[in-house]
Parts: sequence; structure tokens; C-alpha cells
Amino acid sequence: MTEPTTSQGRKIFKPPFGWKFPDKVVWTKRTKADFRTGMLFLSPWLIGFLAFTLYPMVVSFYYSFTIYHSRRAPEWVGLQNYKDLLTDEKFWIALNNTMYMVAIAVPLGLFASFLCAVLLNLKVRGQAFYRVVYFLPSIVPTVAGTILFLWLLNPQVGLVNTLLAQIGIDGPNWMADPNWSKPALILLGMWGMGGTIIIYLSGLQDVPQSLIEAAELDGANWLQRLWHITIPMVSPITLFNLITGMIGMFQYFAQAYVVGGGDSLGRPLNSTLFYSVYLYQNAFLFLKMGYASAMAWILFIIILIFTLLLLKVSDRFTYYAG
Amino acid sequence: MKKVFGLLSVLMILSILLSACGGSSAATDVKVLRVWVQWGDNPAQIQTLFDKYTAETGIKVEVTAPLADDKILPALTGSEPPDVLVLSGGDLAKSFYKEGLVDELSGAIKAGNIDMADFYTAPLTQCQQGDLILCLPWGTDAYALFWNKDMFEAAGLDPEVPPATMEELVEFADKLTVVGADGTIEQIGFIPNHSWSHTDLYVRNFGGFWYSDDGSTLTANSQPMIDALTWQQQFFTKYGVDNVQAFSSGFGEYGSPDAPFYAGKVAMMVEGEWQTGPNFIPALKPELNYGVTAFPPPADHPERAGTIVNQGTAVVIPSGAPNKDASAKLLAWMMSPAIVAEEFCFNANLPTSKKAAEDPCFKELGDKFQVFVDLMSSKNAFAVLTTPLSFELNDALGSAEEEILLTGADPKELLDAIQAEFEPKLKEAMK
Repeated sequence: MTEPTTSQGRKIFKPPFGWKFPDKVVWTKRTKADFRTGMLFLSPWLIGFLAFTLYPMVVSFYYSFTIYHSRRAPEWVGLQNYKDLLTDEKFWIALNNTMYMVAIAVPLGLFASFLCAVLLNLKVRGQAFYRVVYFLPSIVPTVAGTILFLWLLNPQVGLVNTLLAQIGIDGPNWMADPNWSKPALILLGMWGMGGTIIIYLSGLQDVPQSLIEAAELDGANWLQRLWHITIPMVSPITLFNLITGMIGMFQYFAQAYVVGGGDSLGRPLNSTLFYSVYLYQNAFLFLKMGYASAMAWILFIIILIFTLLLLKVSDRFTYYAG
Repeated sequence: MKKVFGLLSVLMILSILLSACGGSSAATDVKVLRVWVQWGDNPAQIQTLFDKYTAETGIKVEVTAPLADDKILPALTGSEPPDVLVLSGGDLAKSFYKEGLVDELSGAIKAGNIDMADFYTAPLTQCQQGDLILCLPWGTDAYALFWNKDMFEAAGLDPEVPPATMEELVEFADKLTVVGADGTIEQIGFIPNHSWSHTDLYVRNFGGFWYSDDGSTLTANSQPMIDALTWQQQFFTKYGVDNVQAFSSGFGEYGSPDAPFYAGKVAMMVEGEWQTGPNFIPALKPELNYGVTAFPPPADHPERAGTIVNQGTAVVIPSGAPNKDASAKLLAWMMSPAIVAEEFCFNANLPTSKKAAEDPCFKELGDKFQVFVDLMSSKNAFAVLTTPLSFELNDALGSAEEEILLTGADPKELLDAIQAEFEPKLKEAMK
């Protein structure tokens, strides 16, 4: 396939993912006035974005090459922070822990959310009630939910181990055991998946009834209809949930902070030392802002790569109707 | 109309921006001082204390307490830092000084005519860095051994006689530990890191610390450190890490009547002086039959009897404070024996002023509290030494301690690694 070129032979930039540039705008007096008014209305957000997002990002990029001092000029150290990170054992532990959550918690959460959404989409008595019940945990504040789970998963007096004991299973030490602390946090995350369920539910309601009925007439059973019609039709929703879930998981912080109780971040045995937790430690406890900035930029690049990869491979499993 | 609308919008945006960026001009005639306190279970009480300063001077004092850890740095680097900042410990004071965020206090001490001889030596140490005084201690904590007399009696031990040596403590702990037929622990004699790490106390009893005495050299892999961690390790290996962990996880909340020492689940514990004060044991478990004594030394080092480790509040003056004279005057007022006595009697914490310690109010806190007050004058009273690197180093030591206690890892290997990593960092930080 030949790439598009100008008459002079220069390559023409082709936007990725099928994006299109808008048609050429003709700047009439009216258009200019509309643009000004539009920008004026947009300005609160625009100023906020420039002052509180873009500027800190640009500055943190600069700081990532420095040893940051609060009241003195930063010391330029070039790539030293990045080099130090590569040999920092805790950096790799934090990255591994985070990748574990991305690789396990995100797909598991998507699968469970989709399953719940399918069940909540069934026309049964009390459908609205069930939907409310499944969504309710999502409105519980993260800190409260985490503390609640710490009690539910208490090895000695917690409800979970008490129920497990009823069926003859000796429950684990959950948060006190480095092998079980991350699975415990995954359980906590799945308890609060109401938001993802709602998004899936809205997607399921957009699946054309005509397709389902046609498949029914052709003799497809429930599972076949789900596999061949419903799942492909909600695949854009899956992609959206996958990307937002992955980004959220790379930035996993609040629950681990609550579990660590401030002074014991990462315990037990660094098993809950996630990337953002270590970044926070470096920035606000060890006062190494330059180092933390380098961590933030590495995280940004990791998230960018994963997102682009997902968008790239999404063509194979995403179906956009129309 | 359009122009008016546009002009108004631009003015509105500008005014928002200007108000966000605006700073306060330095006040010459001080009417209000702001005190931020990192700890503070009872902010209303702290405000009431500072209201007395208002009554004496006419200067209003606004107290903000408690303060989240991550709010302190933005406050100190911002345009409106507090006039006086009360930190939880001297470690942060040294980190902040290195960053130029807080003042060296010699000038303020001289201006406020603060009597340095009145401070107990140990808590003052945590504020000193060579000849520099980077903070002033304002109340402190110390740790000692608490033992449950009823549990001693039930185990066939003399309830009035606590262990006299670290070795005896191990023997007593064995006698006081009850393991069920299925191997689960039903009662435990002693957990060395209950409710948090006490390696600082144990290592002092073994004759060292993780810094040299002047705080300038790292001694993380010294023999006392190895001994202190090995000594603690046995309490986990003996009964099984999982068993101890499972047993500990069922403990009631700290500061509740279900706390394990109150509930008869743990027979001996290392705890602070506040436990004997009106907000803890007397309020939560008044019937508890217990004793308090200094943590015992190793059998072959009786000269280390009466070892305590002080760690407590440190007061700093932010370098960006607008009126240093007013800050210094307030600092001097805070350090006066009468104010120290009032604040720390109320909270049942130890006074850092020797004159304040003579206040009858401390006697009224009872004989058990007095054990701690007396220990403040012990020849073996030390402070938790701090450096600008404390937070990062303590985090690494905490991780190593956890690994040693929970996985049975070799202390020497882990401490060697810490020594190798942090020795150059400390040299750099102390420049």
C-alpha cells in the first residue's frame, strides 16, 4: 500500500484510528464572533487546564531532570533520576504490584461487571431493585469502603473467614499476608464496580432487538446470542471500560493508602506498595520531588504505550455499528 | 451590550486569577498569629491554651490541628506559611531545614530568652544538628514495659515482679503464652512490635543505635542493630509467623476497651506514658490490674537499666513566616514551664521542661505516670536520633524489620544492604 503524498512527493500526515480533520473553516465575521463567544464560555475550563494541568505537567517534566529544592533553584542532574529509578528495587516492586493489579483486577472486573449487567438486564420481577443494590456500593466513599473491607476480611473476627470456616475452609490472613493482600484489594474493587455495570447496562440496552430476534428465529440459544451478538455489539463499551479501568488501576492509590494507614504504606512486605503510593512517598514523605516527577513521567509513558496498544489492537475485537 | 458582557467576563476572570495569586503583605503590627499543629486529638483544647496568649498580649492566635502530612510541605513553600509549626517529630524539622523551609532557632531562643538548661537533654537532642538548633521539643513520649498482674498470677508468676532482664522477659513470655490444641494462639506473652516498631528501644538496650551518637554516621548494620532484630525475631519463629499474625489480626482497635492488653490477650507490652493517663487505661479499662516499669536490659549489661527513648513534638518557625519577632515571642511563651505543664498534664504526655515536671499536676496523674517522669532523668535516657534522611531511612528499616520478623530473613544481610545504600546518601544529606 502506498502512502499518500503531495505533488512534491512529501508524505501527507494521515490521522490514526480513522480520525478525520474537520472541513476547512471559512472565517467570516460571524464565525469569528461565534469563536470569541465560544472561547469566552470555554475560558474557565481553559484557564483551569492551562494553570492547573498543563503548566504543572510541563514543570514536572523539567523537575524530573533536577533535584528539586523548595526554596532554592532546582539542581539540574540530567537523566540521573531516571537512572536511579532503574536501579531502585522498590520502584520495580511497585511497578510489579501495579502490573499485577492491571493484569488481573481489570479483566476480572470487566468480566464480572459484564456478567452482572447481563443479569441485571434480564426482565425479572424486582429488576430496578437489583440494579440499585448492585450500584449502591459505588456511592460508598473509598475510605469507608476500604475500612469496611478491612473488617470483613479480618482473619479472626471477619465475616468472610467466619463463613469460610462454616464450610470447612481455613481462611487466609488476607491483608496481613503478602500473598493475599492484593487479591483482597481486588475483591474490594469488585465490590464497587457499580459504575462499570451501569455503563455496560446502557450498552446492552442499545443492542438492536431485531438482531436478537433474528438469531432466535434461526434457533440460536441464549449463550450463542450472547457470544455472537451481544458481546460484539457492546465491544466499544468494553474497550472504553478497559482503557479507563487500566488507567485507573495504574494510578491505584486511595485503597492502598487506607490499608497502609499512612505510616505502614506498602505493608505487608511491600505487597501493597503500588506505583502511585511509592510516588507519593517520594514526593511528600521523602521530599524528593524531582525523583517523584521522574516517576510520574515514566507512569505517563507506560499508560500512553498501553493505551495506544489497546487502541491499535482494538480494531480486531471492536465492532462499531454503522 | 456584547462589549459590556465581554469586558465583564474578562474582569471576572482577571479578578479570580489575581485573588488566587495574591499573597499577604508582611504585617508590622501583628494582630493575628497562626499556629499549625501536626498532631492534635483535641484541637479545641489547643485553641483554648493559645487563647491565654491572646488574653496576655492581645494578639489573636488561630490554631489549625490536626494537620495532614501532605499539607505541610505546600504550606511551607506557599506564600502564607504559619507563624509557628508544631511537628510530630524532629526528623521533619531537619528535612525542612535542609530545604530552607524552617529557620535555625538560635536567634529566636536568644530573643525570647528561652532557658535551654531547662530542657531535658534527650528530647532536645532530636532537634540538634551539630551546633544548630532546628526545633524545640514541646512535650515528649517515652516507652516502658507494661505487664498484666492478673495474667502473671494465672501463669504462676509473681504479679508484683516484672522481668528484670531481656532474657527473663523471653522466659516470662513463654509462660504467659497459651496455645490451643489446634496450634492457634489463645493468649500471648509478648509481641515485640506491638502496636508499632520498638526497635529504637531494644537497640538502645543492646548498646547502640542506627546512627552514631552525634547523628553524623550511619550504623545500621552495627552489632546492636543485628542483636535487636534477632532478639525480636524469636517471638515470631517460636510460635509461627502465621499464628502470630492471625492472632494479632483479631485484636480490638487501639484506644478502645477491646485493645489486646486491656482484653487480656497480651500479657506484656511496650507502650507510652499516655496509656496511664485519663484518656486511656483509667477511662477504657479502669479495673485493669497492671504495672509499669522501665524496659529491662540484657542480663550481661545491668548498667543499661532505666533505658528509655524519647520521641516527641518539635516546634519550628517557618522561614517564610511573615513576622519572625512575633513568632519568636510566641515560641518563648510556648516553652515557658507553666504552659508546658498545662498542655502536657492535660494530654498526659511527658514535659520537656524540668521545671514543668515539678508541677504537682503530673503527680496527680498517678504513680504509674510518675515512673515515666522519673525515667526522664535516667542516665540512660536517649532520643530517637534524627537526620534529614530519617523518613526514607526509617521506611527502609521498617521494611527490613518486617521482612526479618515475618520471613525469618537474616538481619545482617538486610542491614548490610541498607548500610550500603544509605551511607553515601547520609553523607550527602549532612553536607
